[in-house]
Amino acid sequence: MRIALLARAHAGALVVLFVLTALACLLVSGLPRATQAAFDRALQRALISAPAVRTDLTVAGESRSPREDLHEPAAFAERERRWRALLPATLRPLVAPAGHMSAKTSLTPVTGTGGHTYINLGWLSDADRRVDWVAGRAPGAPSTTRFQGQRIPLFEVGVVEEALDQMNLRLGDTRTLGESDFAAVRIVGVFRAKDPADRYWTHNTDILHVTKLQPPGKLDFEFHTTTLIPDAALAALSGESRNLTYRWVLPLNGQAASALAVPGIGAGVAELERVLTLQATASTPYRLETGLPKVLGDFTAGLATAQTVMYLLLAGLLAVALGVIVLGVRLLTDRLDQTLALARARGGSLRQVAGTGAALTAAAVVPAALAGYALAFLVPGPVLPLAHLGPAFVLVAGVGFGAARVALAHRTPLHERRDDVAAARPSARRITVEALVVVLALTGAYLLRARGLSAQAGLDPFLLLVPIALTLAAALVTVRCYPYPLRLLVRLAARGRGAVPFLGLTRAARARAAGGLPVLILLPALAVSVFAAVISDGITGTQRLASWQQVGAPIKVTSTIEIPAATIDRIRATPGVEQVVTAQTARVQLGYSSERAEAIAVDVAQWRRLLAGAPIGLPELPGGPSALVSPELRDRGTLDIGWQSRIKAKVAGAIDAVPGFYRTGKFVVLPQDVLTRPAVNTLLIKGDVAPGEVARLVPSATVESQEGALAAIQGDPLTGAVRTTLVVVTVALALYALVAVILSLVVGAADRARAVAFLRTLGLSDRQAQRLTMLEVLPMVLVTALVGFGLGLALPAALGPGVDLSAYAGDLPVGGYSPDLLTPGALAAGLALVAVLGAYAHTALDRRRDLGGALRAGDLS
Amino acid sequence: MNPTLSELEAKATRGKAAFGSDAHIVCDNLVRIYKTEGVEVVALQGLDLVIDEGELVAIVGASGSGKSTLLNVLSGLDVPTAGVARVAGMDLLSMTPKDRLRYRRSVVGFIWQQTARNLLPYLNARENVELPMKLAGVPRKDRGRAMELLELLGVASCAGRRIPEMSGGEQQRVAIAVALANSPQLILADEPTGELDSETSGQVFEALRTANRQLGVTVVIVTHDPMVAGQVDRTIGIRDGRTSSETLRREGAEGEIVAEEYAVLDRVGRLQLPRDFMNALNMERRVRLELESDHIGVWPAREEPSDER
Repeated sequence: MRIALLARAHAGALVVLFVLTALACLLVSGLPRATQAAFDRALQRALISAPAVRTDLTVAGESRSPREDLHEPAAFAERERRWRALLPATLRPLVAPAGHMSAKTSLTPVTGTGGHTYINLGWLSDADRRVDWVAGRAPGAPSTTRFQGQRIPLFEVGVVEEALDQMNLRLGDTRTLGESDFAAVRIVGVFRAKDPADRYWTHNTDILHVTKLQPPGKLDFEFHTTTLIPDAALAALSGESRNLTYRWVLPLNGQAASALAVPGIGAGVAELERVLTLQATASTPYRLETGLPKVLGDFTAGLATAQTVMYLLLAGLLAVALGVIVLGVRLLTDRLDQTLALARARGGSLRQVAGTGAALTAAAVVPAALAGYALAFLVPGPVLPLAHLGPAFVLVAGVGFGAARVALAHRTPLHERRDDVAAARPSARRITVEALVVVLALTGAYLLRARGLSAQAGLDPFLLLVPIALTLAAALVTVRCYPYPLRLLVRLAARGRGAVPFLGLTRAARARAAGGLPVLILLPALAVSVFAAVISDGITGTQRLASWQQVGAPIKVTSTIEIPAATIDRIRATPGVEQVVTAQTARVQLGYSSERAEAIAVDVAQWRRLLAGAPIGLPELPGGPSALVSPELRDRGTLDIGWQSRIKAKVAGAIDAVPGFYRTGKFVVLPQDVLTRPAVNTLLIKGDVAPGEVARLVPSATVESQEGALAAIQGDPLTGAVRTTLVVVTVALALYALVAVILSLVVGAADRARAVAFLRTLGLSDRQAQRLTMLEVLPMVLVTALVGFGLGLALPAALGPGVDLSAYAGDLPVGGYSPDLLTPGALAAGLALVAVLGAYAHTALDRRRDLGGALRAGDLS
Repeated sequence: MNPTLSELEAKATRGKAAFGSDAHIVCDNLVRIYKTEGVEVVALQGLDLVIDEGELVAIVGASGSGKSTLLNVLSGLDVPTAGVARVAGMDLLSMTPKDRLRYRRSVVGFIWQQTARNLLPYLNARENVELPMKLAGVPRKDRGRAMELLELLGVASCAGRRIPEMSGGEQQRVAIAVALANSPQLILADEPTGELDSETSGQVFEALRTANRQLGVTVVIVTHDPMVAGQVDRTIGIRDGRTSSETLRREGAEGEIVAEEYAVLDRVGRLQLPRDFMNALNMERRVRLELESDHIGVWPAREEPSDER
């Protein structure tokens, strides 16, 4: 049927359909990619920021017999190749090629120290690249010496700088090790890590630092250090009578990780563990040491919520986009109606007619879907199945609806409506289906609240279905019920003098069920965008709260040593600084027992003033020696605190946390004047001053700022992704809502034009005609806006435990939604206003239409 | 030997089929009821109609008399509720949707009142005429008939023009060509001149007559305009969903046109008296009939009120 000519004749509707479809496909295909990319970045960040020892895969095995000893680096390398060959396919791309190996003894006592000093022997395969020798020389090959009449090996070793001080070691010292099987070490060198901050050293903290332990019930400390021995010393190192552990570190390349592969990685780690146990020899079991499953588990927990929210929004967006596309297709098929009716009457078969409808719809939808799909490739991120399925779904839905609608309309060749036959009343079947949807939605919401989110990580489809069902139920109830209150209004209007309110409201109340389609689109659009705005608000607020709780002041300066009064004065004098509150923190003794508590001495009144306007606060502290305490100290009555002197302080109240300082455990807030010798080590600063400036003035201190903490929380890729998606979805939905209103106006334009033209022949003025149209559209927009607004506000509460956004708000649970109705309210009101303005513009344009033309256009018989 | 039951039945049905069995269009006691949710509108209330092949007939009736419904039924667009409707031997009640499609493609062509509704505005005249052929699957080489039809109807010059570029009369003549595209046996026209001035109307009627004479097509024109009667061989009047009268036009002995109006007697003997006649003699509810040797007399019942008692 000359699709090209038809397309040209209906170019306007096709362009609208093209734009709507392309946008929908771009969003549906692109948004999941962007969010998935953010998930990947978040995972990579989680893996890279975790200590290497937690994320890397370490194969460890103890040598317990001389036969199992590895005496040269080549033997280690050979084993490493074996481990790498055992790596499951899912882990292989993640493991970086350059690992390192180590052989370390543990708990090797210095002879005669009574178990107080331990000097372990440690070999690192890449020690020469990792350390600088700052004194002496690198250790050489071992020799032997005599001890208690026996010949024992003498290892040349290097020790870390800090061991010299802490363990009283000196270059050139020789110590005997062991209590039964002896060996001697001579310290020939002192080393320092080339880059102590390198993640590498988390595997070998025992080499880099002296470990100081206080065994339970003892007063003295134990000191442990691990010295470095050269490759040549391996030949003399045996696990026969020492705790000797070999380790092969297979470093994880965090940059290569993708969130999609997380379940595979977990399974791969379990698989590697299994195959490693099979590699055990008679005396040497091998095991896998890694914290990777835990790191991944923590990440997945955060991810699950993000995914749920994402998919919730995406599903809402898709539903709304499809609704608007369906409206667009309706516009097109309505325009085609006359052509197809003629073709059908002149001998077109149903297949030919429906095929034409489908082909014309496809003429707009197919290129649009391809364009949207192609454009989505510009969005960086991994390609999910959804990226292909989404556009395909939109395509099939659009063309399918076009074909189905045409086929239904032209099932019989003559489909004119006789004016003298009464309109159908709502059928019992339809009411039953609607009631079923409502009941199902309510039951679903109840079950979701009762059950909560399914514990296993991943997407909970139930959580997706319930909001959609709730929205649909609300829309159905709205469509079904909104004419009734309107009819009451109509009765009131009938008594009034003006004809326009009566006519407009009557037309609104008697609009055909087709008027329900815009409601079905507008309502979810508003509900989802208000929901998004509420969640976004909730996250923003909680993030701000979390940042304040982390820092406790606009700027907090903490120092390990006392901050001199002169420095404090200099800070006070710095331009921009408004207020400085000094404080002192310490770990103090409670009573005369070993019970300890964290304490802060501060002028609470000043601190409260500093926090004015912040989302956190402190209760007032009455004068005299009184204290605010943690909940577990609440019932102590009067506290006896050992801090510089004995302080007796009355408990004035309990607080859950001292913002910026303590959140858990026992803590006490005291007035500053109870201290006999104040030694300020903490400053709380308010004012417009750069944290760097303060840090320069107090070099010994750590400076934190609330803005910095907030930026850190907001800078998390997962948080960023959630917020960006919320914004994109809100904007897209607002646009869709607007388009829905305008399209529904255009769809009903011919009918309305005819009615208005008829009324104008009876004396309706232009202005009255405009008011009439406005009154006709307004009730639907207003009611939908109100219901959508309410639903959007209720959704977070209805979903309740299902959506835990604490991962995006600095680990504070996001709760108490909608304390601020401003944004969502403005959103709903703005949408309603824009919709009404659209209607106004439409009527204003309509005025140009010629009266006779309008009357004739709708005149069918 | 007595006839068996089946023989009797066969005889009975044979007798019935005799009504208009040789006619091109037969409607017998045709009923069409529109019904939704318990509300019924009876548009045709037992209509009888017989039209022979090659006739040029007008169906005249006031608005709401059921003439458009009849046309929709005859064109295969609508299915009657009860009765008999047969066109060219095809039973319109028992047709499958497939038969109905074939019927619309090859047996019947029609023209609506609104010129704009007959033609697709984005196609030119020739393409419009080719459209039904295309829909029926006529191969491209056989579509030369489109130009022939346009020439026959005197609108060959419009072949390459789009619809908005033609006058109303030209549009309607192109619409007739479209209706004739698949060589139908019957053309139905619903108020074909309703939107045209009298001069243009004349051209359109001429085109219909041309189709009737030269192509041998049966033409049925539905109109509420009694003046159309002057243009056709036979005029059938419809009132309240039934055929009420017929006007025959024939040439008299001296070459003048004689129009004679008849009332229609249906198969069970019912007769609709013209309303004017009834009003003139105040006939109400009951009349008296008297059979004479060559006619039946009808008298108002009031004339001899007390004789019977």
